[in-house]
Amino acid sequence: MPIVKLGEEGRWTNYHCTGTCDAATRFALRSGDAPRGRDEIAIAAKSVQDWLVEAAAAKRRVRPLGAGWSPSNVNISSQSWLLHTRRFNRCFRINADDVRPGIDAGALMLVEAGALVDEVSDKLEEQGRSLWTSGAGNGQTFAGAAATGTHGSMIAAGGIQDHIRAVQIVTPGGIHWVEPDVGVMSDAFIAATGSAPLRDDAMFAAVQLPVGALGIVTALVVESVPKFLVRPIQNLRKVDCAALDWLAEGDFRRFSAAYALDQDPDFVQMIVNPYKPFKRPAMLRFLYREPWRDDYPRATPGQLGAGYDALSLLGRFLNDYPWARGALLQFAMKQGYASGPDVDAPPVYGSWGEGLDTHRPLADLFNASVTIDRADLAHVFEMVCAVYARHGGSTVVTLRFMERAQGLLAPARFAHNAVIDFDGPRSQRTADAYARVLERLDAEGVAFTRHWAKSCRLDALRVAADYGEDFRRWRAAQRRLLPDPADRALFGSEVLDGLGLTC
Amino acid sequence: MMWLGWALAALGFAMVFGQYAAGQADIFLSIANPRPLDEEAMVVTLKGWGFASAAAQPFVTPESDHGLCDVRVFATRRQMLIGIATFGFLRPVTIAWRAHAGILPLGDA
Ligand SMILES: Cc1cc2nc3c(=O)[nH]c(=O)nc-3n(C[C@H](O)[C@H](O)[C@H](O)COP(=O)(O)OP(=O)(O)OC[C@H]3O[C@@H](n4cnc5c(N)ncnc54)[C@H](O)[C@@H]3O)c2cc1C
Repeated sequence: MPIVKLGEEGRWTNYHCTGTCDAATRFALRSGDAPRGRDEIAIAAKSVQDWLVEAAAAKRRVRPLGAGWSPSNVNISSQSWLLHTRRFNRCFRINADDVRPGIDAGALMLVEAGALVDEVSDKLEEQGRSLWTSGAGNGQTFAGAAATGTHGSMIAAGGIQDHIRAVQIVTPGGIHWVEPDVGVMSDAFIAATGSAPLRDDAMFAAVQLPVGALGIVTALVVESVPKFLVRPIQNLRKVDCAALDWLAEGDFRRFSAAYALDQDPDFVQMIVNPYKPFKRPAMLRFLYREPWRDDYPRATPGQLGAGYDALSLLGRFLNDYPWARGALLQFAMKQGYASGPDVDAPPVYGSWGEGLDTHRPLADLFNASVTIDRADLAHVFEMVCAVYARHGGSTVVTLRFMERAQGLLAPARFAHNAVIDFDGPRSQRTADAYARVLERLDAEGVAFTRHWAKSCRLDALRVAADYGEDFRRWRAAQRRLLPDPADRALFGSEVLDGLGLTC
Repeated sequence: MMWLGWALAALGFAMVFGQYAAGQADIFLSIANPRPLDEEAMVVTLKGWGFASAAAQPFVTPESDHGLCDVRVFATRRQMLIGIATFGFLRPVTIAWRAHAGILPLGDA
């Protein structure tokens, strides 16, 4: 039985200590040693299905857990059965006769849902392949990261869920293998996983980003690209306000030429102090993609700028010294960042996975964001910083870029997106300042969406309005997967009910 | 002579305060390619200036069969104050660790 019970009923707290599940009974789904991946996930999916039926009989709701990284508390549910998945983490290569004709099996890998993004990255690299984007850290599980639309700042990529080509999802009523209309895996392969095939574009787009409300994802087929190298440039520069226009237009080359290399960048990120963002130096990070070669000089994750996410950076300083917020921000930015390889430093290189790390635990952080149409950036960004700073927001503000992401509920729903993140020490004033930013964006009529994983003050009405027709299609897919209202309620929680996803 | 007394008192205070602050430092040790599970923690109290140590709970973690990923050692403010107030006779320390999820070889689907 791949599911084991972990101790007696008790409390479980998520990674950032933003939420606690009271009276939770914890279970862990563990990998087995079946010789073939399809056999292993067939056994696991059946156990998960039995476990769901047992939970329903015990009148308990269930909550699958990845790494527990989401501060929005979409991973929290009290009086529930929790299913930890991080030890369900094997990865399997896919052979040509496992896929439908015309599908490149070499680009695909079968991944158990609890494998960390880091693990997936490593296993792809072993095969000369790579993910093409991921978040700032890589300690999330692949299923958990996809569930909330995790993204980075690769300017021509969408979210991490864009890598998914097929999903095995378990409900009390069935074990489903969901793929797009055209199909990916062979019928024989799907049958061997113990699943029923469900080839449907809308259903697939729903399960690519399920926010934990459509069932338990047990396995994923992940697509990759040939492995590549990235050269990071990381520096502190005073950015001219006019540069926002270049970014809004997508002229990243000009931005890069002004502040780093005169080359097309693949990744651009800017972290500013919202108190005078264009008078104080901003922390810039660029990545330039190069073809893979085996003989590149190896660098440590630190030399490659790992831990560059604003969370690690600020957590280190401001978690311990909450009284010093405003002025310390700039000092913290300088201390945590200046060591990155700048333009005139000897170049360092790494694979995509080498430039990321799994993060160490830091409590009491605030994370929130808004995703806007990149074209609005020039007139929105300064206003956002001004409102945030005026109301006492005491985190840095990070600007990232991405293309439209896949999944009906993907927050990156504009053709070109700019994501404004507010990551730093948690305080009521900061949360209030973020709320004032949202009010101002609404007052100015600026369209925006919010991250499912972050403390973004979303509610059911707003979710329905933000996602419109896509939300209705997502709900329709949910009703097909979970036709019995009791089964939909099984995956409910206070937070998910509040978002209108499970009630 | 008075000033010498004050100077020594100030020095003594600075030494104790320095210990109080530095004792709260978070010492972090991790394996190279971690696959961490949830963090667990326990308090170990060194007694009699380190002659004996007692953990408030036994060192067990249900998920540690693949070993540990990382360990943090630190004292909270309260723990440091206990250490100082008892002249070091009692020295509680918090040890937090994350068990390793294991890294399994790439298989065939
Ligand atoms: C240090 C840090 C850095 C971050 N950086 C970024 C970033 O750069 N970009 C970004 O976009 N986000 C970022 N985030 C947010 C993070 O990527 C999301 O919170 C992500 O969802 C976390 O994945 P997880 O495995 O921890 O999932 P959890 O938080 O455990 O779960 C998220 C949701 O998925 C569900 N779920 C998990 N596993 C399954 C499963 N197997 N089946 C069904 N449902 C499941 C849960 O029930 C929950 O609803 C960061 C968070 C932290 C703590």
